[in-house]
Amino acid sequence: MNDIKKLALEIRIEALKMMNHYGFGHVGGVLSVADAIAVLYGKQMKYDPKNPKWDGRDYLVLSKGHCGPALYSALAIKGFFPREELLTMNKLGTRLPSHVDKNKTPGIDMTAGSLGQGVSCALGIALGLKLQKKDNMVYAIIGDGEAQEGQVWETLMIAPNKGVKNFIVMLDNNKQQLDDFTDNISPLRDMRQKAEDFGWFAVTVDGHDVEAINNAIELCKASGKPGFINLNTIKGKGWPAKEAISNNHAFRGPAFAGVDEVINNLQKELEALN
Amino acid sequence: MKYEMMDAKKIIGETTAEEADLNPNICVVSTDSAPRTGMGKFIEKYPNRYYEVGIMEQAAIGVSAGLAVTGKVPVFCAPAPFVTARPFEMFKIDVGYMHQNVKVIGRNCGFNYSDLGPTHYGLEDIALVRLIPDVVILAPIDASQLRGAMKAMLRYEGPVYLRIGTAPIPKIFNDDEFEIGKGIVVREGKDVAIITTGEISVNVFEAADKLAAAGIDAMVIAMPTIAPIDEEIIVKAAELTGKIVTVEEHFEVGGLGSAVSEVCAKSFQVPVKRIGVPQTYLSSGPYEDLVDYCKLSVEGITETVLEFVAK
Repeated sequence: MNDIKKLALEIRIEALKMMNHYGFGHVGGVLSVADAIAVLYGKQMKYDPKNPKWDGRDYLVLSKGHCGPALYSALAIKGFFPREELLTMNKLGTRLPSHVDKNKTPGIDMTAGSLGQGVSCALGIALGLKLQKKDNMVYAIIGDGEAQEGQVWETLMIAPNKGVKNFIVMLDNNKQQLDDFTDNISPLRDMRQKAEDFGWFAVTVDGHDVEAINNAIELCKASGKPGFINLNTIKGKGWPAKEAISNNHAFRGPAFAGVDEVINNLQKELEALN
Repeated sequence: MKYEMMDAKKIIGETTAEEADLNPNICVVSTDSAPRTGMGKFIEKYPNRYYEVGIMEQAAIGVSAGLAVTGKVPVFCAPAPFVTARPFEMFKIDVGYMHQNVKVIGRNCGFNYSDLGPTHYGLEDIALVRLIPDVVILAPIDASQLRGAMKAMLRYEGPVYLRIGTAPIPKIFNDDEFEIGKGIVVREGKDVAIITTGEISVNVFEAADKLAAAGIDAMVIAMPTIAPIDEEIIVKAAELTGKIVTVEEHFEVGGLGSAVSEVCAKSFQVPVKRIGVPQTYLSSGPYEDLVDYCKLSVEGITETVLEFVAK
């Protein structure tokens, strides 16, 4: 698990660097989802960076597509493209748009950006693989604000009735959306219970405990049902001054003040693990 | 009626099942309406390639896009407004922007659901899908073309929207040859060119006879592909006749008439008269009454063309 913890720190460092370099980015959600992505790319997922379309690969659909920088960091660290390329994010002609795009980036299998859509697409991939009798896993990551979209609930209803066992939805439940705390807008209440009621194998875990996330994935895989992991996370995790405060969704320009110190501290944490 | 009338849904279902015999990747996604779309035979033969998701058109488009990522060729068919207007953004991103090999069929388009009223009319579907780059839009003229268009669609690699009314449709052409992107000169003429799409075209063909009796020599062009539009045939018709009329069971705005006008504005400017549905919310009621009201009947088309040519 030490390697996964290190990967999570590296993802945070690279993502902060790239967002700061461009001067804009969805810092809050990128930081809250970093540990889940570290478990997927550091432990659970099968992939080949030299052959991103390898037919034995597992799939990740980042339905909260605005958190692309977290995923790009993982892909670069794992060798899908050079780390230097991370700094091209959102520059004209880049392969790394802020929101994930399947036709632009090696290792991205589904375009996302308009909330609620990716999770339905992910189910389609899982159904297609099942039809081919393949056991590749399909993961989708949604946000809690995103879960207000009706289309998310459509997918929650469909999947358990279709016998997909190779499908895990992870909810990055950081309890905040753009304008406010989710509970102050349209509360989701107990998402784990809701998913279970629809027929999913559903668990809630600490979304910053990589071991707990990994165990939850193993439990889902063994359940014989589509899995739903409610990740209890903190928006802005890793940048202490920004954690769980108002207006930490997306940062532009001056909002990055202090980021160098944060990166230095994350770097020190990383070295301590080495 | 001088033409044999055929069941469009049966043709949709039969051609899907036939093509599915040849291509194991073809599958069907349904939102509580596959058997009513004629897919009964497909479901019987290939139950594991049939996905009934319930009444959720947004997810149906998303699931279709996901299936396409794994090499499947999903066919999603439901009433036109529910596969275009309702999941428009999913169509735009999951199908269009990602260039997925997904086939969407908008059935009961136009005034087909005349008993159900404006919530069920398919009068803006062409306009909406035309806004999405690189999506092919097909609107077959008759039963033979529907058969041909279905096969062409299922063999084409890329996103396609096919619209069709599913009341009985006439069989006008003998063979089911269908080439995506090509208009067809059905009748030569020099006084005016009438460009028509969809199964309302049968009225245009009859109107052309009446126009001939009134001394007007009308060219008739069937346009079963609306995107990409056959620019060459439009420009040639404009050059030859100097006047164009378009006919469609769709709003006057955004459909075939707009597509033809855009070509004329760009390449050869001639007057264009659009016959279609006015931009308003029309009543429910008998189909023929609505067609008459919009001057899409044989008489309405004939009168409108005569007035236009006389100007």
